[in-house]
Amino acid sequence: MFLTLQANDKRPAYQQIVDGIKALIARNGLREGMTLPSVRQVAGDLGINLNTVAVAYRQLQDEGFVTVRHGAGAVISSRTPHPVDEAELCQPLRTALTELILAGKTSQEIEQTVRRELALLQQTRSCNTEKGGAQ
Amino acid sequence: MTAPTDFEVMVLVTVLVVLSLVYSLVRFAWKQPLRNGPGFFLGIEVPAGFYDGPGKQWLTGYRALLVALHLALAVALALCFALKRWNLIPLWCGGFALVYVPAVVALNLWTRHKLGATPPVRAVALSLESRRLGDYISWPTEALFAAIIAASWWLLLRRGVAFDWLPPLQMTWAALILPGKIALVRSGAPLPAERAEEHYRYQDAMRRNAIHAFNAWGWLMLVTLCGFPLRMIWPPASLPSLVWIFLAVFSAVFVCMMIEVWRGMRLAATMGRDLRPAGSWMTPFRGATRQMNRSYLIWFAIWIGGILVVNLYSLLRSYSLVR
Repeated sequence: MFLTLQANDKRPAYQQIVDGIKALIARNGLREGMTLPSVRQVAGDLGINLNTVAVAYRQLQDEGFVTVRHGAGAVISSRTPHPVDEAELCQPLRTALTELILAGKTSQEIEQTVRRELALLQQTRSCNTEKGGAQ
Repeated sequence: MTAPTDFEVMVLVTVLVVLSLVYSLVRFAWKQPLRNGPGFFLGIEVPAGFYDGPGKQWLTGYRALLVALHLALAVALALCFALKRWNLIPLWCGGFALVYVPAVVALNLWTRHKLGATPPVRAVALSLESRRLGDYISWPTEALFAAIIAASWWLLLRRGVAFDWLPPLQMTWAALILPGKIALVRSGAPLPAERAEEHYRYQDAMRRNAIHAFNAWGWLMLVTLCGFPLRMIWPPASLPSLVWIFLAVFSAVFVCMMIEVWRGMRLAATMGRDLRPAGSWMTPFRGATRQMNRSYLIWFAIWIGGILVVNLYSLLRSYSLVR
């Protein structure tokens, strides 16, 4: 399983790692109990500072996506949907929509894009769930 | 049965080493710049028709360097034999690694600098597969390895007779490659986002091959180390048989090591031939050069430095320059 970090992304490296791991959890690519590679391995493989990866893992831990156990590394934790602030949750969506509007997309095009991305995400999720069941 | 003389033993070892070097040169190193096809030079993408123009010179220069390196080493080896300085043969083997590897790495870096000056920056992929030491290193084998080293030294020391401690120390140091294997497991290079899975499999296969070659090297050194205490405890009447057994085992392990190395080189050529990008690309964080990482380089410098120091000390002592 691979996480992709874009060359022209404005987000810092640690944020790309956090978002990438969250996306894999959302798609069921990373499931409860799976172990993430060590901070040292990630930093070494990407050629970035250890602290950058440590910050990303700490953020994932603070948000409840991973549990860091001494000796066992970072493990994907079980997640039960809990009430979240709707406005806070919609903030990235608003930012993305603004970017799409500023890029000259029409409402219809934006709707199509959102539907397509959502369908793709659900398709990947069910595919990963089936794979997980087969294993 | 008579035992072979020191000269005969050195001739056998030298023949094995020289044959391996010649095979590696002809079979692999000679064609290395073209490993990714005619559109590349040492993994760097070159324009169409490169080999009809400046590429010819690059290729000639590369091959001239290879020939010059091998000629220089051949002359050094011939001198060892002409002067009957058998104790210089191990130094020659170490010297070969110290001259050849940096020269080839320097050529690679120079080529990258001259031909791939502005490689494209690409997105990188990160594998989320954990690399555990136990998946690459067999701990029971390592324990057996350590036990044989300890037993060899115990046998050497418990005899109570004076012995030359330098050659066993040298072999022990050369056999201590576990830190290098650990550094190798932990080292990795950035993967391009395109065909990330294939790149990851290639990188992993190369890592495993390097560890196999290291293991074979370790056993070669261990066999040599075991020869010292066995020589002390073996009945003097049947000492020639021990020397023949030692030579047979040493040659067998050496051949196994070279087969392992060549198998790895063949696999690298097969797996890496069609992998794109081949090497001349940059990541948002650093260049993806597939070179050794820092911890591995530190270990390698200490390890090879140790071998060199013991070799030099041994040489100075043979000329009675040190006690």
